[in-house]
Amino acid sequence: MATSVEPRLAPGTVIAGKWNQNRYRIERLLGEGANGRVYLVERERVLYAFKVGADAVDLQSEVNVLKSLAQRQRGEEAFLVDVDDYKGTDGREHPFYVMRYVRGSSLSDYLNREGADWFPLVGFHLLNKLAGLHGSGWVFGDLKLENVLVGDYGRAQLVDYGGVSEIGKSVRQFTEIYDRGYWSAGSRSADPQYDLFSYAVLCVQLFEGKRLAELTRTLLPQNRVPEELMKLIQGNPALKPFAGWLRKALQGSHTDSREAAAAWQRLAHRPGKRRRTRTPRWMRRLLLGSALLFAASMIWLIRTGL
Amino acid sequence: MRQILLITDGCSNVGVSPVVAAAHAQSEGITVNVVGVLDQEEAVDYGAPEIHEIARAGGGLSRMVAMRELARTVQMMTRKTVMHTIQSAVHKELQQVFGATSLEELSPDKRGEVVRVIDELGETSPLEVALLIDTSASMKPKMKAVEEAIHDLMLSLQARQGKSRISVFRFPGSRHGAECAQVLEWTDSAAGLPSLFAKITMQGTTPTGPALMHVIDFYRQDKYGRDNREETDGMRSGNVG
Repeated sequence: MATSVEPRLAPGTVIAGKWNQNRYRIERLLGEGANGRVYLVERERVLYAFKVGADAVDLQSEVNVLKSLAQRQRGEEAFLVDVDDYKGTDGREHPFYVMRYVRGSSLSDYLNREGADWFPLVGFHLLNKLAGLHGSGWVFGDLKLENVLVGDYGRAQLVDYGGVSEIGKSVRQFTEIYDRGYWSAGSRSADPQYDLFSYAVLCVQLFEGKRLAELTRTLLPQNRVPEELMKLIQGNPALKPFAGWLRKALQGSHTDSREAAAAWQRLAHRPGKRRRTRTPRWMRRLLLGSALLFAASMIWLIRTGL
Repeated sequence: MRQILLITDGCSNVGVSPVVAAAHAQSEGITVNVVGVLDQEEAVDYGAPEIHEIARAGGGLSRMVAMRELARTVQMMTRKTVMHTIQSAVHKELQQVFGATSLEELSPDKRGEVVRVIDELGETSPLEVALLIDTSASMKPKMKAVEEAIHDLMLSLQARQGKSRISVFRFPGSRHGAECAQVLEWTDSAAGLPSLFAKITMQGTTPTGPALMHVIDFYRQDKYGRDNREETDGMRSGNVG
């Protein structure tokens, strides 16, 4: 049962679908997931994300999930565009599917570029995405930094649906450090709390990545408990305001993910000593500038008026 | 669905060839997966050819991994094997129903239907995994990682909707020259998995083949017992030693 690792598709290669006859031109490799590779492709001047699977069953499972999501979440844009096979240069058939291309950067790149002030909002968007999935009867499963893209104004997107599992079944795919079972904090059954747990770890990974890696290296399995994650949260100024929320996520005591998202948002809006709201220098300068201008124009008015 | 998962770090050196034993297992519908645990930082995998051969004969997968990869590998292999077992069964049906020899011959729509069935069966079919652990002397520093992997596997199996259980065997069995001994009876719960290998004296020989035969025999008798008594928990204590 060897899993075929097909050769990488070179930029410029044209792929023709066997069933639907669509033609795609490979632009570049976007990423490599657990179940295959994702390329940026072009068809009739529109860019798409194109996923080639190593295994027909795994890929088809993902397609099934995406289709069922599209049916249940009619509000969302249909992101599954095409499902087909192509014949590779190795003479074998490779299954692929095509999705809407989501432009965005990784969460850490985004916060580095735009500032950590965006974190609460991005988090809220992400929680809403998860709540949407949960509402349709699914759990994302493999939530981790690599599977989140952030677009303009902190709009977070989930990518790679390989781990998406029906509520009540087992989580299909997960990553150890984000896994509730790994931290002795519960089962690997798909429930909304599973995603919220991973979300809490994702927050820790974002701000305390080094310490988290250190923990996973040094802790004995029996000592891998959420309390260790809480220590990192308490010690980080960006996470501390959310400590209560994160604790509930790690304990699985958020009963409803919509409510959890709303609670997160309330924390994000909470005014107070958390932020020393210093007026940015450019704003102070602008204010000074306009005051001077005002004074000058008043003087001018008074003089000419007289 | 029945699997044997062999965790070892070297070459067998006593008794019947483990490749022959694995082929026996395969013929009885038991899939044999093999994980070779590498020494820390050391990439000498002199056992690798045999490990791959055993898995090939047993219709399963084989991997050489470092200790910290062990839990993840065991979990992933078990899952893959479940899916593969179901796929092979479904492929036979495919031929009869659609006249197709592979999934790729079906149109994407039909394929979607078939995979839905595969996924459903993968989640709900009963599963038994007998873990066969090499406890020869060189495995000693790796036993913590093995215990963790067993615990982790149980955690994943518990989340399945289908009935899943594991049993653990070690080889060699004891000082008295037994090839194999059961250290954990069939269980479906990770809660309180005992520290399996704490009291065990680790020693020399590696009778991989005879140990495999022993586990196949255990499966066979287990099945026989259940067929006769029609009990759901047709297990036997299986203490050999």
